Amino acid sequence: MSEYGSIWGYRAQWAYLLLIVATLMSPVFYVIYISFNENGFGAAEYVFTLEWYGLIFSDRLMMNALGWTLMLAFATLAVTVPMATIAAKFYKATRHKVFTIFVLLSPLFVAPDILGSALLVFFKNTNNMFEAFSDYLGTEFFYGWFQLGFMTAWIGLIIYTMPYAFIVILITIGRYNEQQTEAARACGASGWRAFWDVEFPQIRAGIFSACAFTVILSFNEYTRTSLLKGGFDTFTTVLISQMLNEGMSEQSYAMSSLVSFVAIATIGTIIIFTMIRSEQLQRKAQPKAEPADAPETNAEPQKAAA
Amino acid sequence: MSSDTAVEVVDLKKNYGPVTALENVNVSIKSGEYFVLLGPSGGGKTTLLRSIGGFIRPTKGRVLLHGEDVTDLPPDKRSTSMVFQSYALFPHMTVIENVGYGLKLAKVPKAEIERKSHDMLEMVGLTGYDRRKPHELSGGQQQRVQLARALVLERDILLLDEPLAALDAQLRKDMCVELKHLQQQVGITFIHVTHNQEEAMTVADRIALIADGNLVEYGPAREVYETPKRRFTASFVGENNLFDGRVVTSDSDTLEVNSPAGQIFVPHKGATVAAGQNVSVSVRSEVMSLERPSVKPSSPSAPAVSGTYRECLYLGLVNSHRIILEDEREVVVRTLAGPDGTVPFAPGDPVRVTWPFDAGRLHTQ
Amino acid sequence: MRTTSERLKDGIFLLPVAFMLFFFILPLALTFVWSVFERTQFWMEPGFTFFAYNNFFTSARLYNFLASMYHSLIAVGICLVLGFPIAVFVRRRIPQVAQHRVVLLFILPFMVSEIIRIFCLRPVLQRNGLVNETLLSLGVISEPITSILYTPTGVIIGEVLSFLPFIVFAGFLAMEAIPKYVFEVCEDLGANTYRTYRDVIIPLAAPGIFAGALFIFVNGIGVALIPNILGGPGAVNAGLIATQAITALDFPLAMAVSAIMTGTQMGLLYLGHRLFDLTHILEPAK
Repeated sequence: MSEYGSIWGYRAQWAYLLLIVATLMSPVFYVIYISFNENGFGAAEYVFTLEWYGLIFSDRLMMNALGWTLMLAFATLAVTVPMATIAAKFYKATRHKVFTIFVLLSPLFVAPDILGSALLVFFKNTNNMFEAFSDYLGTEFFYGWFQLGFMTAWIGLIIYTMPYAFIVILITIGRYNEQQTEAARACGASGWRAFWDVEFPQIRAGIFSACAFTVILSFNEYTRTSLLKGGFDTFTTVLISQMLNEGMSEQSYAMSSLVSFVAIATIGTIIIFTMIRSEQLQRKAQPKAEPADAPETNAEPQKAAA
Repeated sequence: MSSDTAVEVVDLKKNYGPVTALENVNVSIKSGEYFVLLGPSGGGKTTLLRSIGGFIRPTKGRVLLHGEDVTDLPPDKRSTSMVFQSYALFPHMTVIENVGYGLKLAKVPKAEIERKSHDMLEMVGLTGYDRRKPHELSGGQQQRVQLARALVLERDILLLDEPLAALDAQLRKDMCVELKHLQQQVGITFIHVTHNQEEAMTVADRIALIADGNLVEYGPAREVYETPKRRFTASFVGENNLFDGRVVTSDSDTLEVNSPAGQIFVPHKGATVAAGQNVSVSVRSEVMSLERPSVKPSSPSAPAVSGTYRECLYLGLVNSHRIILEDEREVVVRTLAGPDGTVPFAPGDPVRVTWPFDAGRLHTQ
Repeated sequence: MRTTSERLKDGIFLLPVAFMLFFFILPLALTFVWSVFERTQFWMEPGFTFFAYNNFFTSARLYNFLASMYHSLIAVGICLVLGFPIAVFVRRRIPQVAQHRVVLLFILPFMVSEIIRIFCLRPVLQRNGLVNETLLSLGVISEPITSILYTPTGVIIGEVLSFLPFIVFAGFLAMEAIPKYVFEVCEDLGANTYRTYRDVIIPLAAPGIFAGALFIFVNGIGVALIPNILGGPGAVNAGLIATQAITALDFPLAMAVSAIMTGTQMGLLYLGHRLFDLTHILEPAK
């Protein structure tokens, strides 16, 4: 921070930053506001109600979709985060950095509808090939492996979430000092043991952020899921198709709000959690950092030794 | 294989793609000695150390520990332990957990871990720091914890990778002496990598000089300093003045070398040289002395070159005189600083640099 | 001399790359092949025809595609002007420990489904929506503004609001790679804000700026739902053409659009990499 800069300039910049965040959030807040109005959007009178939320939870289709969404989100999490971790470690070690980073990050630069369409055709063709192969072998073993359904949507989501998880984990792993793994190896730890005992506790924050990212991204994802899902429905696909067909209903305001709540609550928790943690660490570090004359803790183990 | 050889490195070679980090290195390290790998940064000394520790898989060649081939074994399966440059303590564990980690992996009973770790911390002078986290320790203390963590495993070879590089000068000196004493106390083999020659001279029984992926020469510390065989060793260890030239004549004990700075005589010492061959002569700066050309040479046979006095740098204990020779090259002469701080020469004065005949060393490569 | 378990371990490290190659790079590469297949009633069959490309380049689709590129570029420009100074501010003026938390604020809106945020813009921009109501009650306007929603302006606003956080992230990542002393040197030499930006910040942050801009550009022409929800009848971008073709079971056309988009994206990515070496963005990770 500049010591001589104007304090008002600094405050104005902060105000601008917060204004942008508020603007980006304003549609969401506005919809949340409407979702509690019994009379819905555009009504002259505002009456608070939770009725619209009640409707969602009594809707079988909705609850079913919610179940699929959560299953898909956690299945994606279970694959994306371990793979992104392995990929980040691979990136650190490999000499083919540009190629690796291209393969892992370029999904960011492919538009959702394009990736969805390409995968849709890819899976249809692969499925046809597998079935033809199966017919040739005279079995039905390879039937429907790549039929549009849970698995294809799952793969689509893994590809979509991979770059985000990869970046987050790579940044934390980048701060980790590889010598500590070597030190653990020198102490007699196997490769896995060194990872679990020494590296993982230090990159945990990054791994957890990547988990949160992956769950929220796949929970919110619409385009790729809707193209690849085949028969079942997720929360967003139900919501968007309702919106597209019938326009915004009061119930859809409530549903959008609900999704927003989940996301905001998750991120809010992370922010608060990291704030508390870092403050705790600072407080812990400060009093102990002064040079110490031997504290009292050594008396007891020495007795044990004697 | 004799049992008093701790480490035997045979034809070791390491390539990183097209880059050669180590080229056919052969070295054998005796059990219980303090061995130092000295050399400029990027010369391959750390690569050699890490190959011994199992952190690098050599492209070619073998590593034997106590006669047993360990080339294909990972670090945790070798009888070595290691101290790293810095930041290698586990930051999320306390000091005592750091020290006890290796014992915990070896499934040593808890009480014994506690006792051994504690004793080891006492040995490195850190009694009472058990419950600290690494970030609450100074750099020197952190390195002591690393030492304790490595020594508590009671392996018989300890590898130290620039262990003092991150410490300030005074602390480094103190730690050097402590390391030497510690090694004598525990009696195991220490292999220590450094680019600092003072550090190397303080601790080493024997020194190996490594540069450009090659083992330049190795031997007892004193020999490497006083009678370096190679020109490179002379240029790297100590402060030496080098004269390159061509052999003019040689008889059984004196060799005449024609260098751009003038005629130089050096002891022959049984070197196989022929007239016309390119050689180098090195002379340590502290054995040289300065005279005015008008003064009669104290001994007419003493080698001498003449030049122009440039300046004197006061370094505390010694004065460092810089002289420009006729061929524009610089010679440094060190003398003990006198009590009154006066220097008998002024910039621009013509001077003669001379040294005892026996102080000249011949290098054919 | 390697053991089986060691080979297996190395194999595991190749798994993510192999997965992405098979399920991501391969399908995208194959779009070029499928785009020249013959269309059948419900599917397609191997063949070699430029019918789909012909269909794309000689219809209103081409005009729509180019128009969506134009709108997308405007959105990129607005995002850069609004968003990049924020990244600079966070990096230069906010204490190191707090920087990541401030950037996390921008994840907040981004974490709410993009599609929902775009839908939510409808009630905000509508005739009797938030913006008009506010402006009317403040007396700034006397008639509701109706020229926002269902026009290119609405599409651009939707794109800016959806993608602005990315320019902050990419900009911040790039700024993190610049050591702090650089700014101190600038102050020491007395460079003003404009010169500091022009001579130092922008050249050093160029990889991040490019990556962020490319992301926004590509999504601007590729996210079908933005023009679908906020645009008028003529607002059609590449993403919408592709999904509409799939709905109409014209798979070769969808693949032709995908191939054109893939070619554009990869070309721009390659160009950016040649110009700025995009791996610099991940410098803080080293």
